[in-house]
Amino acid sequence: MKKNMTFHKKKVWVVFLMCAGMLLGLMGRLVWLMGFRSDHYYEKAEELHERERDIKAARGRILDANGKVLADNKTVCTVSVIHSQIKEPEKVIRLLSAELGISEENIRKKVEKISSIERIRTNVDKETGDIIRRAGLEGVKVDEDYKRYYPYDTLASRVLGFTGGDNQGIIGLEVEYEDVLSGTPGKILTTTDARGVEIDEIGESRMEPEKGDDLRLSLDISIQEFVQQAALKVMEEKQAERVSVLLMNPQNGEIYACVNVPEFNLNDPFVLNTGEDVSSMNTQKAQERLNQMWRNPCLNDTYEPGSTFKIITMAAGLQEGVVSLEDHFYCPGYKLVDDRRIHCANRRGHGSQNFVEGAQNSCNPVFIEVGLRLGVQKYYQYFRQFGLMEKTGIDLPGEAGTIMHKMENMGNVELATVAFGQSFQITPIQLAATVSSLINGGNRVTPHFGVAVQSEDGNSVKELLYSSKTGIVSEDVSKKVRDILETVVSQGSGRNASVPGYSIGGKTATSQTLPRSANRYISSFLGFAPADEPRMLALCIIHDPKGIYYGGTIAAPVVRSIFENVLPYLGIKKTAVKTREDNS
Amino acid sequence: MKKSIRERTGKQDVLLLILVLFLTAFGLVILYSVSSYNGSVRFHDAAYYLKKQLFATALGLGVMYAASRIDYHAMVALAPAVYLVSILLSIAVLLVGKEINGSKRWLALGPFSFQPSEFSKLAVILFLAWQIDRSRKKTSGFWFMCRTMATLLPIVGLVGSNNLSTAVIILGIGVVLIFVSSPGYVQFIGMGTAGIGFVAVFLAAESYRLERLAIWRNPEKYEKGFQTIQGLYAIGSGGLFGRGFGSSLQKLGFVPEAQNDMIYSIICEELGLVGAAALIFVFGMLLWRLSVISMHSRDLQGTLICAGIMAHMAIQVILNISVVTNTIPNTGITLPFISYGGTSVMFLLAEMGMALSVSCHRKTELAYDK
Repeated sequence: MKKNMTFHKKKVWVVFLMCAGMLLGLMGRLVWLMGFRSDHYYEKAEELHERERDIKAARGRILDANGKVLADNKTVCTVSVIHSQIKEPEKVIRLLSAELGISEENIRKKVEKISSIERIRTNVDKETGDIIRRAGLEGVKVDEDYKRYYPYDTLASRVLGFTGGDNQGIIGLEVEYEDVLSGTPGKILTTTDARGVEIDEIGESRMEPEKGDDLRLSLDISIQEFVQQAALKVMEEKQAERVSVLLMNPQNGEIYACVNVPEFNLNDPFVLNTGEDVSSMNTQKAQERLNQMWRNPCLNDTYEPGSTFKIITMAAGLQEGVVSLEDHFYCPGYKLVDDRRIHCANRRGHGSQNFVEGAQNSCNPVFIEVGLRLGVQKYYQYFRQFGLMEKTGIDLPGEAGTIMHKMENMGNVELATVAFGQSFQITPIQLAATVSSLINGGNRVTPHFGVAVQSEDGNSVKELLYSSKTGIVSEDVSKKVRDILETVVSQGSGRNASVPGYSIGGKTATSQTLPRSANRYISSFLGFAPADEPRMLALCIIHDPKGIYYGGTIAAPVVRSIFENVLPYLGIKKTAVKTREDNS
Repeated sequence: MKKSIRERTGKQDVLLLILVLFLTAFGLVILYSVSSYNGSVRFHDAAYYLKKQLFATALGLGVMYAASRIDYHAMVALAPAVYLVSILLSIAVLLVGKEINGSKRWLALGPFSFQPSEFSKLAVILFLAWQIDRSRKKTSGFWFMCRTMATLLPIVGLVGSNNLSTAVIILGIGVVLIFVSSPGYVQFIGMGTAGIGFVAVFLAAESYRLERLAIWRNPEKYEKGFQTIQGLYAIGSGGLFGRGFGSSLQKLGFVPEAQNDMIYSIICEELGLVGAAALIFVFGMLLWRLSVISMHSRDLQGTLICAGIMAHMAIQVILNISVVTNTIPNTGITLPFISYGGTSVMFLLAEMGMALSVSCHRKTELAYDK
């Protein structure tokens, strides 16, 4: 038997010290992992353990100028089944089939499918959901949810827009103000084990959803309703294809009404307003038709404005000083431009007239002459200065741009046609915004619907601001334009728009759509009141009317009936005394 | 005089006993906390693993008591037989072993299963102590080293065929005991260098071993790094003071087989840096007591037995914690006293009994021994 020697002990001690050193090193490693890297790993682990379920936030409402609710939420239910919890599958299948009107076969498929949760139907009425919940069958889950609801069905359908299955905006203001309206979804965080089973002791943490803000519009439901009636009436009378009417405040760009009849039902946006059945079409065609129906012709489509555009030529000519109110013109019924003979609407000619009379007569040769006096370069410069080359910036999606000749391709003939509103295209909202700016003293305003974003109780209000650009024409020219257009209504082609007691300015237009051979017309009227200080501008556009198609004959009366009712509604007083004096 | 050697002339090392009992109890409590989820998911019994471990521990405590009463010289005398038995058992595993989790490491004994590789560690410690003590020639030469290591080859080969990690531990015990028993240092530096070269060749020979290295460097990028990553999540999310005892989330199926090799990561998660470092400290204390007993032993046999036990403990603790903290590439080594494994805890307690037996015979006896 050997004795242990000193070196044995020394070596044991060396081994121990080496081990102790390594253990210290491992402690250092732990300090690194659990001290410095702790947050990183903790977060990663949380991600792994936590299951997140979204709680939908209630969408903000859309209110009209007087606080009436145009878009609201209603409670609906989502019915789902959880395979592992179902005890009486036959009962479940029968109940769901009966209450939801789905065939037993389809429900059986979902009930018998082995999955964690299977959704049977969304957007179930609250009453139906309550019935199903009260039946108390295990494994059937009824979750409450919000669905967008539009109390006025068709009213301002293309303006308001609608939302899709996840409550996100699809068209209209619902899209434009998505961020405002949508709110912040809440979360239910539950901790689960590796199999995904929730751990009850830890419980769940909830982050409550934040309701979206309400959006207040300048649109007034009473005005909108009245205007829609007027538009429907003329559409029926003239068997027109469609009628659009825009009503706005030319001073600040607030839009009071935007009607495009036929409208469609916002609570049923996937049903065509023509009565055709979408389900009988193939998907592509159906989608095309729906997209077409959802378009807002006031800003998604362009048209040839025709004579209403003479207001622009008028303002440009007056501002540049190439024409004065007293300038004399002679209309033989046409005008030769280069080697082209361009006809006046009145083929027999208006004869001798001054500029104001030319405007009253809506005489093409007069405005061709003004256009030619300006020349291509100057005309183009004003076109740009008035903001016609840019979009108006209206708070709706998909605004179409102006379709205009390139300046280098513009000869005198093109210039002549542009001068009286043909051979180029703009949107109706562009025309309304531009004329607003010309008659309000030269301030280019941004047409808009949204006025303020506010909390549900109305306590916190954030007014929405829009840009405007001053000085696009001088105050003096603006006044002259107003005066001329006032005489167009009081004495000229716009006579049918006059309302006793109010001074009204306006301009008629009748344009033929392309191809010209189809003999389809767009008749329109642009009016504003009171003429000396406009507080309302109306643009009525009738597409493809049958029979008489002159704007002064069919569109002006629509605007008159609107003014007759809406001006007093907005508290704009009659200037009765002055009118009587004029008449006497 | 001969008689006095046979007598229990010293006192048992009480501190060692306390440390061992503490680790055993702590291990059982932690094992219950960690394994209750897996137990209830798989066997509908949260205490499934605890019960099995409790049985083995009770058995082990009995063995420890017995071993501490027996003079270790008697055990060393039996070493060749013990070594032979361990070789036979390892052969038996190869032939009639029971496969659990894809590894053939167990011998079924009725309702119990027994892992011979755990026994072989103890056998190797005793066998080496016997062999080195017996060697007449000087124990410093290269020949001595090679010859001693060669005697280990049968068991290393047998165990290594299905349990590489245990084979590495056995080799490690061998190296430590040879180191302790020869006076020089220089040849061990050469041996260390040779060992590193051998490991490099060993790794390069098989691409899957290199893959392990790649996983070690970037565990998040590999599917096989899953266990490592889950362990790191557990460790990291423990922070300074941990989630609190029993509150680990990673043990809920995220760390696979959390009650086995990765149990230390759950300790980190539940008890935090403070608890985890304290456990390392307790293991350090244990190693210290073992080294003190080894140094104070009155003869070489006792010194070697304790040094072997210390080496065994140290290698397993260090390798296990290194693997769990992703300090070294993954290899399956359990944490002594804490990881689930009945055979392991039984033989560990037996080894502790041996160490206690050595501690009974203190150096103070040397005075009249001479």
